[in-house]
Amino acid sequence: MAVKNQSMFSNNTVVGPSILISGRLSGDEDLTVRGRVEGEIVLSHTLIVEESGIVKANVEVKHAIVSGVVVGNIRATECVELTPGGRMVGDIVSPRVMIVDGASFRGRVDMGEAQGPREAQERPATKPSYTAYAPRFSSALRPPSVPRPPLRSASPPAPLQRPAAPRPMPVQRTVVTAPPPAVASPPEHLPSDADEDSADAKPLPPEPPVLMDVNKKKVVVKKKK
Amino acid sequence: MANTIIGSSIVIDGEISGDEDLVIQGTVKGRISLKESLYVESSGIVEADIDTQNVEIAGRVTGNIVASDKVELKADCRVIGDIKSPRILIADGAAFKGNVDMDIKD
Repeated sequence: MAVKNQSMFSNNTVVGPSILISGRLSGDEDLTVRGRVEGEIVLSHTLIVEESGIVKANVEVKHAIVSGVVVGNIRATECVELTPGGRMVGDIVSPRVMIVDGASFRGRVDMGEAQGPREAQERPATKPSYTAYAPRFSSALRPPSVPRPPLRSASPPAPLQRPAAPRPMPVQRTVVTAPPPAVASPPEHLPSDADEDSADAKPLPPEPPVLMDVNKKKVVVKKKK
Repeated sequence: MANTIIGSSIVIDGEISGDEDLVIQGTVKGRISLKESLYVESSGIVEADIDTQNVEIAGRVTGNIVASDKVELKADCRVIGDIKSPRILIADGAAFKGNVDMDIKD
């Protein structure tokens, strides 16, 4: 009988719109409130407060959906949902809380300490790593920056890059005695830039500058004439 | 028809009042006052004073019942308490202990 009746009534406990229950209500099934419930509600399932429903009670449930009015504290093991018509005054303790546009709520929300701080800690951890990479790219643009020198001098990647650069350098500069100081200086930013310029200038300058100068001079002269 | 249902796993300790039909499949302790009908189904357990228009009981009720219209004790119900109502029906198989008052005026 009970099972048949429950299936007929969609296995729900319903408090109709003209019903007032005052006292303690507990159970292991869904509860739909269209009337008033005052006191205390303890459920292991879902509490649904519909638009006409008014709950003035401390609520302990698994899942609460509020489309009506709730005055009191809600403690949910899973989720609390305030729908557009929902109005609530009280505190919410639940790992998941959804407050939709149109819902009105006054009170405190506690989602527990387990999830929030973990995410907060992960984000700072990723930021330093990004900033550590950033100086390498921005180093050429910002030689005077203070934080960068310590990072390069202390960081292992810098020495790894140096050997790679010096290898071609010596080959080109074997004739010149200048390279050794240039290799030693790279750790510092300004010198490294200067050395690179000087290194490029030594092999290249002779050929292109001459051609460029000749062409330019000829053109200029023609225009002047 | 019946808008309000107290499911079989629900326990209410307190007072229920209202203007509509109430179906009880669970447990209610305290007091019930309605202007319509109360149905206590076979799984229902009521330990409360009841004040309604109609009462149909197939489950267990402990408490005094006052109905303005009718009280019906169905087969296999179990009722302990006084009943006051102009019409009272007790079916074969019903267990009942208490006083009956049909408010007959001579």
